[in-house]
Amino acid sequence: MASMGTPAVVMDNGTGLTKLGFAGNDSPSFVFPTAISTLSASSSKSSGNNAKSTGSFLSSKRGLEDLDFFIGNEALAAANGPNYNLSYPIRHGQIENWDHMERFWESSIFKYLRCEPEDHYFLLTEPPLNPPENRESVAEIMFESFNCAGLYIAVQAVLALAASWTSSKVSDRSLTGTVIDSGDGVTHVIPVAEGYVIGGAIKNIPLAGRDITLFIQSFLRDRGELDTSLQTAEKIKQQFCYVCPDIVKEFNKFDQYPQEKFAQYMVEYADKNRSKTVVDVGYERFLAPEIFFNPEICSSDFLTPLPTVVDQVIQASPIDVRKKLYKNIVLSGGSTMFKDFDRRLQRDLKTLVKERIELSERLSGGVKSSGVDVQVISHSRQRNAVWFGGSLLAQTSEFKSYSYTKQQYDEEGPNLVRNFSLFK
Amino acid sequence: MPALHSTFLSEQGADTRVIGNLAVLPIHSKYRGPSYPPQQDYDIIEETLDLFRANSFFKNFEIKGAADRLLIYGILFTSDCLSKLNKSITYKEAVRTLNNLALDSFALPGDIGFPLNSLYQSPANKNEAELLRSYLQQFRQELADRLLKRVYSDSEVVPSKHWLAFTRRRFMNKSL
Repeated sequence: MASMGTPAVVMDNGTGLTKLGFAGNDSPSFVFPTAISTLSASSSKSSGNNAKSTGSFLSSKRGLEDLDFFIGNEALAAANGPNYNLSYPIRHGQIENWDHMERFWESSIFKYLRCEPEDHYFLLTEPPLNPPENRESVAEIMFESFNCAGLYIAVQAVLALAASWTSSKVSDRSLTGTVIDSGDGVTHVIPVAEGYVIGGAIKNIPLAGRDITLFIQSFLRDRGELDTSLQTAEKIKQQFCYVCPDIVKEFNKFDQYPQEKFAQYMVEYADKNRSKTVVDVGYERFLAPEIFFNPEICSSDFLTPLPTVVDQVIQASPIDVRKKLYKNIVLSGGSTMFKDFDRRLQRDLKTLVKERIELSERLSGGVKSSGVDVQVISHSRQRNAVWFGGSLLAQTSEFKSYSYTKQQYDEEGPNLVRNFSLFK
Repeated sequence: MPALHSTFLSEQGADTRVIGNLAVLPIHSKYRGPSYPPQQDYDIIEETLDLFRANSFFKNFEIKGAADRLLIYGILFTSDCLSKLNKSITYKEAVRTLNNLALDSFALPGDIGFPLNSLYQSPANKNEAELLRSYLQQFRQELADRLLKRVYSDSEVVPSKHWLAFTRRRFMNKSL
């Protein structure tokens, strides 16, 4: 078989970013927005009637409009010009536009990864609670359109757990734990027991990376900085923000050590001739990530802090796994990358758990609890944790035996992929 | 951790004066007024200024006692002060402006025009009202004075823009 020696392709299509690469690698080969820009309906029609625009006229005459599209950063660039419409085929983690998604994959495989799908196994990811029909559609596209050699579809949260095995804090490689996945749009708290997602206990927080960026932007505007663009706010978020243990003390630290705490950011422009702008960075350094722990400071409708949500999620899970869920809280996604995010979350959660244990000890009249170990795990692969977890699993020798092959698909049809066996 | 409360809540002993339901806490001040000198260095004015920046992000606040009401008043007055400043005001001008603001006639709890009448009781009689007015005046002057020291800590000429940025934030969505 041709696929024996080739590494599996790992594709993680998120709402915001797509991560592409080969199993066994440390980091994805490509990370770009999950965006596609296609020829807009109006422009293809008008160019069909109007022979003056020669480029698209040729393609429409031959019926090649389908091939005229861009994905990723090129799509964003193309959408700035006329003729192209930008669309995001994935909404809230789930594929909304299958036609666009198929073309997105086509370009991912042939234009970016430049591989022959017949020669590779594929590992794709899906959000928790993805309907099985969606899996079938994915399998149809992967096997029938691309003829890929084999396919495995993994749940993102489980892969994030697997990625945490690289941390020194993890002693046993179990697939039980709570995953906090915070990307650009939404933050999910997902309990996983023995590789199975506990669907009923999942909670979402409508605050994530984009809200932090907007919050920083509001600071820059309030202060009247010279550059208050979203890109600048984004850069400040990535370079300067951190989580503090106590906001009042942190304000005082800014007063005491202004030299160390206040920072400056130089805005770089694509246009080299433009002089550089300096933007001061102040309290937003610690207040922006604080919205996870005090959502009230930025949102008026969602007020539950992240540690409380995590606690609620674990309390809603079956009682026999709760201790393991507290012991293995794994972070994943770019918005969990702030310095000391794990320490603050662990401290706040410990306080909550301790209060409850004390209450129950008092109510039960002196019976001592054996204690609950709370541990938040942060590791160096956190940013692309889902992709990295996929890369880890897909390089194992068992991977191919867990995947379904093209041959199996041809024999049994799409409902084959409703179930995948779990990695142990 | 919701909005922060005053640490002076617990110190309501026999000697704490309360007018209406607003605590009249001792403050350090060089201004004349009815306040007693406090025993420790840290007083409610320092606390107000410490908590102002953190609390001004919060829209909800659960009042736990008389000292919290004084804290709220202080925070709202601080943001009132900041709204009178702008980038081009020097320290000396700012002192004058805020001193006028502090001495300006202001509404007492219970008066028409006081924004928090649903949470504050009015003073019981004329004597108490008189005492409260002179105490709050002293409180306002001292607060404005210490606020400016912080805002102009780097330079005598330009106020810190990091402080001025808080003008737009409204604690509990209220302003004096």
